[in-house]
Amino acid sequence: MIVADCCRANWLAPCAVVGVLLTTAAPVARAGDAAREWLQRMNQALATRNYDGTFFHLSDGRVETMRIVHRVLGGRVTERLMSLDGSGREFVRNGDALTCYLPDLHTVLVEPRQEHAPFLGSLPQFADDVSGFYRIESQGEAHVLGHAAQKIVVTPKDQYRFGYRLWLDENTAMPLKTQLCDSRGQVIEQILFARLDMPDSIPDSDLAPGVHTQGMRWVRQGPARDSASPALSAYRASELPPGFHLTISGAQTLGGANVPAAHLVYSDGLATVSVFVEAQAPPRQEGGADGKPSPPAEPPMEGLARVGSGFAFSTVIQGHQVTAVGEVPAQTVETIAHSVRSFSSGDLPPH
Amino acid sequence: MSEQIREQISAFLDGELPSSETELLLKRLTRDAELRESFGRYALVGECVRGGGHARLTQGFAARVNRAIDGDSVADDPQPQPRRATGWWRPLAGAAVAASVAAVAVVALQQRAVSPPGVPAVQIMASGGLPAIQSGAGPSPTPTIQFAAAGRQVSPGQVTEPGSYVVPPSSSEGPTPLPAARLTNYVFAHSKYSSVMGQNDVLNDLLSEADADAAGDASQDRRAAP
Repeated sequence: MIVADCCRANWLAPCAVVGVLLTTAAPVARAGDAAREWLQRMNQALATRNYDGTFFHLSDGRVETMRIVHRVLGGRVTERLMSLDGSGREFVRNGDALTCYLPDLHTVLVEPRQEHAPFLGSLPQFADDVSGFYRIESQGEAHVLGHAAQKIVVTPKDQYRFGYRLWLDENTAMPLKTQLCDSRGQVIEQILFARLDMPDSIPDSDLAPGVHTQGMRWVRQGPARDSASPALSAYRASELPPGFHLTISGAQTLGGANVPAAHLVYSDGLATVSVFVEAQAPPRQEGGADGKPSPPAEPPMEGLARVGSGFAFSTVIQGHQVTAVGEVPAQTVETIAHSVRSFSSGDLPPH
Repeated sequence: MSEQIREQISAFLDGELPSSETELLLKRLTRDAELRESFGRYALVGECVRGGGHARLTQGFAARVNRAIDGDSVADDPQPQPRRATGWWRPLAGAAVAASVAAVAVVALQQRAVSPPGVPAVQIMASGGLPAIQSGAGPSPTPTIQFAAAGRQVSPGQVTEPGSYVVPPSSSEGPTPLPAARLTNYVFAHSKYSSVMGQNDVLNDLLSEADADAAGDASQDRRAAP
């Protein structure tokens, strides 16, 4: 079971604006305040408006074309996201469940989750402590994709996190174009809307999956309830990049494992890094006490890997596999993972 | 790519393409994979040229850009290429809802790849927990997923100068490919708490055929082909 030490960052909270006003010079504060207001308008639009759009996702010179349909009717949100040029997969979010149609795998996945962010609601959240590590500013009007837009830039102040550029429609505040950038401003990934309608109503037929599910396998998942051993719970990062702090400590039973791993979540208010600490499996044995072969032991891992727009780094510390994962630069996950060690119960770091 | 299409794409990216032509371009793009690749290269190179990527324009840059746009190999380019992190699990980047789906999708592919006949491809734990990814459960070793980048066409990031590449610097000597089957589980667990921005990556990748790449099946060859 994951225990939240504090709530997730919510940049909509009034304290975010107050934080900026208190910590920033007045002209800059006004610019940052304007940018935050635009972002607030954007998130409101993404969560509360009807929209039907087609957009491109560009990454590594690769383009995918998607369609998103989002309807709010009587306070109930229904969304449908579908691939237009790929696998034919579709996601439909309705109420408290997400259904994933994967025709290429002949599988339908149903995942009940109480909290679902909008498919396109995946944009920065700004807590009041974020301004110390990101510069948030409005860069005025721009012309993008045939619309007048406001350009909002979120720039990291160091190399431990990524930044964002957003072009918001002047009238609707919808994100016509978004970019994820590294600390030097290099574009890592971007999304471009080719078409975006905001109709007053959306018929049910536009939200119905177009996938024929006859003969497909249905898989349903339930929530996990775990707790880590006291030994694993004693692990913490002893060195964190500036601004990162522990927000969640708990446990997760990872797929294929018999016992839960400790799961720590560190955040700077915007970016998050998960750290998993697991006891290493015993050496492989040819046969168990009952004469049956034991499952093969997982070999220790050591190394770095790209994870979409972020990175994962895994290493072995004090006989435990330590893995850090996050949408952050490589050195952030490396720094955090390398610093993990066991603390006595009375000596746990406050962060 | 014809000059007309090139101009259309350029106008679209500059926000100057009429909506009627945008619809036509969109239809062409959804039908034509090759055109999408060109579009992607053009868009990212365009970012560099506009300054969004802070690319340093040097002698020969324009030629290399043009070759990249046209999809020609620049392997003979004498410029040293920046180190590239292995992206074997691109479709799984940490997003809340979607990463979990990605994880299961890859489970299915992984299990299909390593399980003997008759073994269900997807195993959901009885407790309702995370799907089990048994990386050593099958008769053959779990395939380590290698990103297709090594054999892919050059990306716009690669045609810019070293130092302007999109992947941030790392203190490591080089990434060690880690087994996708195991790391998928971490992404799954992380996804519930990951930054919301990351959802876009995952959703978009999930909706593409990238999962098939992660499973190391034939589609990887397709995407790796020049």
